[in-house]
Amino acid sequence: MNNLQMRNAECGMRNYPLPCGERTKVRGNAPHSKFRAPIIPNAACPRMILSGELSTPNFARWTLRLLLATAIISGTLQTTDAHAINGREVYEKVHEVSLKALDHKIEMTMVLFDKGGGKRSRTLTSYSKKADPEAYKALAVFKSPPDLKNVGFLAHAHTFSDRDLWAYFPEYKRVRRIATSSQDDSFFGSDLSYDDFTGPPNLDDFKFSILKEENLDGKQCYVVEVTPKTHRKYTKYIAWVAKDLWIQLKIDYYQDKEIYRSGAFKDIRMIDQIPTPFQSEMENKKTRHRTELTLESVQYNTHFSDDLFTQRSLERAGK
Amino acid sequence: MRNEKLTISGLIIFLFFSAVNISPSFADEALSVSGRLELRGVEALDRDSMKEDPSLTGRIKLDTTGPEWRFHSWLEGGWDGSVKRQAQDHSLFKNYDEVYQSNTPYLEFKELYVTHSSGVLDLRAGIQRFAWGRFDEYPPNNLLNPWDYTQFLRKSLEDRKIGVPSLAATVTKGEWTYEAVWVPVFVPYRLPLPDERWAGTSAVSALAQTIPDVELTPKEPDLPARTGKNGSVGLRVKRVGDIEWALNLFHGYDPKPVFRTTALSIIPQGVSIVIDPGYVPDFHKTSVVGLDAAAIKGDLSIRAELAYSFNRYLNIRRELWGYPTVPSPGILPLNPIIEQKHDTLDYGMGADYRLFEDGLLTFQAQQTLTFGDVDLLYERKIETILWANVKIGWMNQKIETNVNVAYNPEHGDRMTKANAWYVFSDAWKVGVSYVAFTGPPLSLFGRFSRNDQVEGEIVYSW
Repeated sequence: MNNLQMRNAECGMRNYPLPCGERTKVRGNAPHSKFRAPIIPNAACPRMILSGELSTPNFARWTLRLLLATAIISGTLQTTDAHAINGREVYEKVHEVSLKALDHKIEMTMVLFDKGGGKRSRTLTSYSKKADPEAYKALAVFKSPPDLKNVGFLAHAHTFSDRDLWAYFPEYKRVRRIATSSQDDSFFGSDLSYDDFTGPPNLDDFKFSILKEENLDGKQCYVVEVTPKTHRKYTKYIAWVAKDLWIQLKIDYYQDKEIYRSGAFKDIRMIDQIPTPFQSEMENKKTRHRTELTLESVQYNTHFSDDLFTQRSLERAGK
Repeated sequence: MRNEKLTISGLIIFLFFSAVNISPSFADEALSVSGRLELRGVEALDRDSMKEDPSLTGRIKLDTTGPEWRFHSWLEGGWDGSVKRQAQDHSLFKNYDEVYQSNTPYLEFKELYVTHSSGVLDLRAGIQRFAWGRFDEYPPNNLLNPWDYTQFLRKSLEDRKIGVPSLAATVTKGEWTYEAVWVPVFVPYRLPLPDERWAGTSAVSALAQTIPDVELTPKEPDLPARTGKNGSVGLRVKRVGDIEWALNLFHGYDPKPVFRTTALSIIPQGVSIVIDPGYVPDFHKTSVVGLDAAAIKGDLSIRAELAYSFNRYLNIRRELWGYPTVPSPGILPLNPIIEQKHDTLDYGMGADYRLFEDGLLTFQAQQTLTFGDVDLLYERKIETILWANVKIGWMNQKIETNVNVAYNPEHGDRMTKANAWYVFSDAWKVGVSYVAFTGPPLSLFGRFSRNDQVEGEIVYSW
């Protein structure tokens, strides 16, 4: 039984082929069963009511059915009228782009600016590989500054929410396992997090809602509110997703009602038909510390061997 | 010895040029050079403690990387302000022939090796340091490198290790890694001279304090013959998984210092008195079977180690060494048997726990169980070390602070360390450290109870 069948069974509608709720089938463009259709809760499932044994006369029953059906259709139309797709679907498309970008080698420079004007730089290489069925492997190795040279970070994602993480510090000559609770922590002093350097998230761990559509820097965007279902450092984020590219152009992370971290993604270039922001900036609004990330070179469809994503390779700085 | 130095120099030249020449593409690959300069000043907090001059030390790392061949060298050296008098037979390069090598200026190859990788096999030859086991401090399975005790607890674990000429073969196949190491030549540990700051308290240092104008001249030991059978071997089998674990086997000379007695010699020479403390470092083979493991459990990154050592030699209580209560000039034989053979079992657990963003608590608890009748210099039947470190990064890791406490409940001795680093730029950082020791003189930390100090450092890296 797939997720949809399971949900339908929960709704008590196994014998009813008609749609139940906002979505009725797994779309062809959803690459994984994990991207199941959002299902409205049982209490709100109209199929249950429509099929229910309401002890009313036939006329009254049909009238009620008609009213309910009208209400449902008009509700659905309101949703689709407002936006062509829903928030989850926006992020499924963002996810698809992220998946295409998973096979990569990227050389990048991070420049850290503190509020006093101080500046520190880090250069690193990020390698990543998509692995079936819905996992990936990632390796990031620092080239500079001298204190961080050959420090590496390895992730094996069994699923998008189940990851093993390791770090290697040449000074100690030891590969260390890292608990995933540090996923939202600063990535080596920058305003980016460890999570920003691993693969795409598990969409089921979030709730999505389109707030509005807006033009940002000449690009039409869906403004989507994304709320984590599990405890994270942020309570929600609001992202501006470019309609034609399906990548985030701006993102504001909230802690309750306050923005604490804000990012912008610019200089979008198409590399192997994958939109890639070559300039990004993330600012911590509380500390006024900000990080500029510049991609120096990008290669997609690299199809690296699994040998690159091992502890052996981590100890050898990916060489 | 001159021949051995020539051999080592020859080995260095051979390794470098073979790396450059064996692979035609080697020289075309990236050459990476990085370095670091450290200026350090120490303020001893105990009035009776030996003072220390400022030190200026540096390191240069050179790496060349090819598709199959890699060359790596790590040269360290400089002026060491903790050295007050040169050890006998002073040489610029630290070598593998002497236990007492307090020299300044000095040079040392911490690492110098060439690696050949093909398929699942990595072969590495040269001066290497190994990091077997999981513990941050006092890892019982990390035995292939002897330690340099000249600034013992001031230095980090990796800085204490002496690189050893060795051949290592590593096979990685899926989840399994097999590593075999052969150290063909015996390399002794290094000790400070008895009147140096990090020698700790000892019978002879106490003796020296009671007599003015005394010069302590410990004798170099006769080292085991440089034959193949006096080398060390190690085998490590590691498996990666939800629980990562490794089996470690070691057979070779015990890197832990132990002494044998000769004769106490107190000879007046003019206005001064020359004392030979009457003990010399001794070396014995041991065999160790160990396990280590690591796993993630919730927010904890857990690790554990266990090691059983066969036939480890340990010194008996100092009262039994035969030192006179009132020293007088002359030559006095000491108790000829001050070593006992014991099996020991080391075991312990440690973990990392994220307190908050950029706040990490690392803790470790370990015990050593010594089998048989125990009447030893430092060790009791059970010795426990509890160790914890809180590391906090501030202002996006522009400032890093560490507070570190180690406690040995059997003796009631303790070490407290604190340091703070401020990163000015990618190249410059400054740090200040404080370390304090308390406890009885014959305990791991208590023997350094006169070594409380504040230390300032300026570091330039490129």
